[in-house]
Amino acid sequence: MHYDVKLGRERKSMLKTEKSLEEMSKQQVVNYLNETVKPEEGVIPAYLLGDPKVYDIEHEKVFLKTWVFIGHDSEVPNKGDFMTRELAGYSLIITRDAEGEIRAFYNMCTHRGMKLCRADKGNKSLFTCPYHGFNFKNTGELVGVPLQKDIYGGNLDRSEMGLHKVKLESYKGLLFGTWNEDAEPLEEFLGDIKWYLDILVGRAEMEVIGVPQRFVVNSNWKVGSDNFVGDSYHTMVTHGSIAKLGMVPNATYSKRGFQIHTDNGHGLNLGTPNPDFAFPEELKDEFKTNLSEEQYGVLSNLKNMIGNVFPNLSFLISHTKIKDRFISNTSIRMWRPIGHNKMEVIAWMLVEKNASQDWKDRSRDSFILTFSPSGIFEQDDTEVFTDITEAAQGPMPFLKNLTYNYTMGLHREPVDFIGPGVAYDDKFTEASQRNFYKYWLELMTK
Amino acid sequence: MNVEKMLLKCEFEQWLYDEAQLLDDIEFDDWFDLMHSSLRYQMPVRVNKEGVERPDYSTDMFTFNDDIELLKLRVDRLKTDYAWAEIPPSRTRRFVSNVRVKDYVEGEKAVVKSYLLIYRSRSTDIQHDLISGERNDEFIFEEGKWKLSKRIFIVDQSTINTRNLAIFV
Repeated sequence: MHYDVKLGRERKSMLKTEKSLEEMSKQQVVNYLNETVKPEEGVIPAYLLGDPKVYDIEHEKVFLKTWVFIGHDSEVPNKGDFMTRELAGYSLIITRDAEGEIRAFYNMCTHRGMKLCRADKGNKSLFTCPYHGFNFKNTGELVGVPLQKDIYGGNLDRSEMGLHKVKLESYKGLLFGTWNEDAEPLEEFLGDIKWYLDILVGRAEMEVIGVPQRFVVNSNWKVGSDNFVGDSYHTMVTHGSIAKLGMVPNATYSKRGFQIHTDNGHGLNLGTPNPDFAFPEELKDEFKTNLSEEQYGVLSNLKNMIGNVFPNLSFLISHTKIKDRFISNTSIRMWRPIGHNKMEVIAWMLVEKNASQDWKDRSRDSFILTFSPSGIFEQDDTEVFTDITEAAQGPMPFLKNLTYNYTMGLHREPVDFIGPGVAYDDKFTEASQRNFYKYWLELMTK
Repeated sequence: MNVEKMLLKCEFEQWLYDEAQLLDDIEFDDWFDLMHSSLRYQMPVRVNKEGVERPDYSTDMFTFNDDIELLKLRVDRLKTDYAWAEIPPSRTRRFVSNVRVKDYVEGEKAVVKSYLLIYRSRSTDIQHDLISGERNDEFIFEEGKWKLSKRIFIVDQSTINTRNLAIFV
């Protein structure tokens, strides 16, 4: 490691321009990223978490380009249901029409640009703009304009003024949107991670319980993705209190299992083995119907599953002992960027629709106790996320070329695994994080 | 309001002030002793609804949904050496106001509503967090003392602007 650090410094002094990041043109920043971000060598500079300019380029080259999660189809179960969400900083209305089709629109009136809908969710088929009263159907058509004939003289072409439709595709109930008309099909973008998403949300008919939890953390969004994509190493210490309480076996249990990464920056840690079946026993047939034999094999032996779909959709199956009984909970969370040092965490809890009410309640309460703003796992994470982000702010980390070490497991060879992707035979490696930053860099410098 | 009602209001105001002090002083064991064994400690997720549609909070997703056992677990956890979220502890100041006794049976039970404003300061951070909301509390009289048997805290934000709720509401 000493070599890398030294080399890094020497190289840095050679290419050190007189300019700060702030003074660089966008192209110069991109070139600089190419010079200094070295995921394959395990070198990630700290300024990536603290620089507003990098954040702006991320918005353009990552969040406006890739598929980004916007919700689960069970959140709009009935005809006429709608919800509002954000896609790369822009508000969307997601509707289910009278035929059951789900669509997404930019939440902006096409007349003068007013935000059309200000509620989180509800049920209605008509949206009326608060400014001039233009009326839009939940299929996007402009169907009403007050005093239209009188004031437009019959010359307003309403068919040209429908809501701006947003590209939306779904996989196993997970809804993704993108502003990029040329984006590859969602299933191609997800690629091999689908095999694991099947276990997460395709194992049975799943539903979101209630509404997502939302809270703001003064953290760069990548710290969250990085944590979930492959960092089980931190659980021994950051979450040491959980082992002390006897909710998980011991402080080193988190090493056991596999780390897997796939193309496009996705990755996960699979905790195995598990002597207990972590899911509702009575739904075994449903699981078997929905999963391949290999997937069911993984599910039966699963202790936990922690991963990230690039860029910022993290997921989790967690199995803990609460009140002397084991219970699992399944959740997905989005690290929604608000600024270079701020994000909104949006966390959805999912459960098998056909599980018993007792299972649903216990599963929900275990989610609240462990992963929510009050969650005894989550609260220690957000403390760490905040301090990492703070330490990366301002010009010093750039000037001094501060870097993070991502070399864990560089010496290791992948193993054969029953599922797709590049797999390692325990969870303590940083291959998934390197893979995340590799794809991130690819998009940033494209 | 007659004198009797004023005294009653005063009694519960005092209870809530004492509770606030225990929490602000990080006396979690003493705070926990104020709870009744049948406790339900709940904080629903707030939702932006259209117009005046109510309730404007989720009836099945919560930020806290603890019984006495789970609350005990949280208190015990804060005493381990690994509860980083509160190492060092936040400095908090709980302001309780607008106390109204909604229902009361002498020596038996009471229903009390109040407003709560929490100021939270972490470490050297010069930014503070404010958490505001309404408490809907129920009390049971046991062994000569009022014990909290139910708390529903209706927070005033749909997106909570504090890094976590490692503190109690």
